[in-house]
Amino acid sequence: MTALYRTTLIGLALLWAQSASAAVLLDKSEIRFICKQMGAPVEGRFKIFDADVVFKPTDLPHSHAKISIALASIDLASDESETEVKGKNWFNVTHFPQAVFQSTSIKALGGENYEVHGHLALKGITQDIVVPMKIHTLSGMQVAEGSYSLMRTVFKIGEGTWADPDTVAEEVVVKFKMILAH
Amino acid sequence: MNNTKYNGTAIALHWLVAVFIVVAFAVGQYMADLELSPWKLKIFAWHKWAGVTIFLLVLYRIYWRLTHPVPALPASMSENMKKGSGVTHLFLYLLMVTIPITGWLHSSAAGVSVVYLNFIPLPNLIDKNKELSDLFKEVHESLNWALLGLVIMHVAATLKHQFMDKDNLLDRMRFSGKCK
Ligand code: HEM
Ligand code: HEM
Repeated sequence: MTALYRTTLIGLALLWAQSASAAVLLDKSEIRFICKQMGAPVEGRFKIFDADVVFKPTDLPHSHAKISIALASIDLASDESETEVKGKNWFNVTHFPQAVFQSTSIKALGGENYEVHGHLALKGITQDIVVPMKIHTLSGMQVAEGSYSLMRTVFKIGEGTWADPDTVAEEVVVKFKMILAH
Repeated sequence: MNNTKYNGTAIALHWLVAVFIVVAFAVGQYMADLELSPWKLKIFAWHKWAGVTIFLLVLYRIYWRLTHPVPALPASMSENMKKGSGVTHLFLYLLMVTIPITGWLHSSAAGVSVVYLNFIPLPNLIDKNKELSDLFKEVHESLNWALLGLVIMHVAATLKHQFMDKDNLLDRMRFSGKCK
């Protein structure tokens, strides 16, 4: 009896552990951004990123997220602009191949709204940021969505002749959508 | 009523559009080979604004054309010449519509929206897609070469009328042209 009880407990604990470290379905998740050139929105996205996310609405202190973006995987308007943006004035991918966001805490704002606090490390600069996030379930999977307005010059993205915000605006809106499978 | 000459609206539209096209063509040609820089992005935006302006003027021009009779061509012209002139004009209209649309498609497919005069956002015609973007870029360029060819023909025909046929065809498209 106790043996059965124990196995059941272990089994439950294993299940629990599994559901705790929800795997992010990377190929269904996306990280997009919109910047403005001459007042016109320009879309782009990062094709390759890694996400290590544990999200339990009932246990926020043990929930966390780490997103690492391979900057060289950028998809932009043209090959020419992709080459440019990987270069020194922009991401400088040879020295800073990744952008990393690491959460420090997640706050519930009521309903499906949360606030993720954490650090964003980009081009050798680390900043504390707060990212609003919405969680909803879609056919049994958790979907985390949100967007963050990044000021590109804070991270020295677009230096030299590109610093002028009249051509490429300061603000870049980064939008993410992570699909978490249990 | 004067039926040997286009009216003021048609003449104004013809020359306004002609000037804009020459400018948009030259600017397009210049900017395409530039190295990526803020200047290039600026010129791209201006080119698009000029292109959209042409598009709007041409739409109005087509509306005018469909709602007004055109002056009869000189009687000295053969039926084939008249047909040739009609077909050339039709293709000029087609190109004046398809060139801005392919430019807009190229931009949309590149993921770059068009905000006319930094003021009026135009909808993206299609979703971002690199292959389509490259395709429309090629088509936009090829149609421009076709336009260049047709305009050269068109101007050559006008000169032929003016100096060889001496039928004063140009006066039909001139503000100060004498009415016969
Ligand atoms: C009648 C109007 C227009 C004319 C005569 C025109 C002409 C041209 C020409 C000659 C080029 C250079 C092609 C090359 O050699 O690569 C060009 C490129 C371009 N045009 Fe236009 N264009 C017109 C309208 C537009 C419009 C309305 C848009 C967008 C809304 C547009 C967007 C572009 C873009 C983005 C390029 C650059 C292609 C590239 O290098 O990526 N154009 N255009
Ligand atoms: C980008 C340049 C140009 C374009 C796209 C263009 C287009 C056109 C079109 C579509 C028409 C037909 C009007 C109609 O019946 O609805 C027309 C007529 C005419 N164009 Fe142009 N044109 C251009 C430049 C010029 C130039 C530079 C000249 C003079 C050398 C010229 C002389 C004329 C004349 C004389 C007519 C009247 C023809 C007639 O009476 O049937 N055009 N043009």
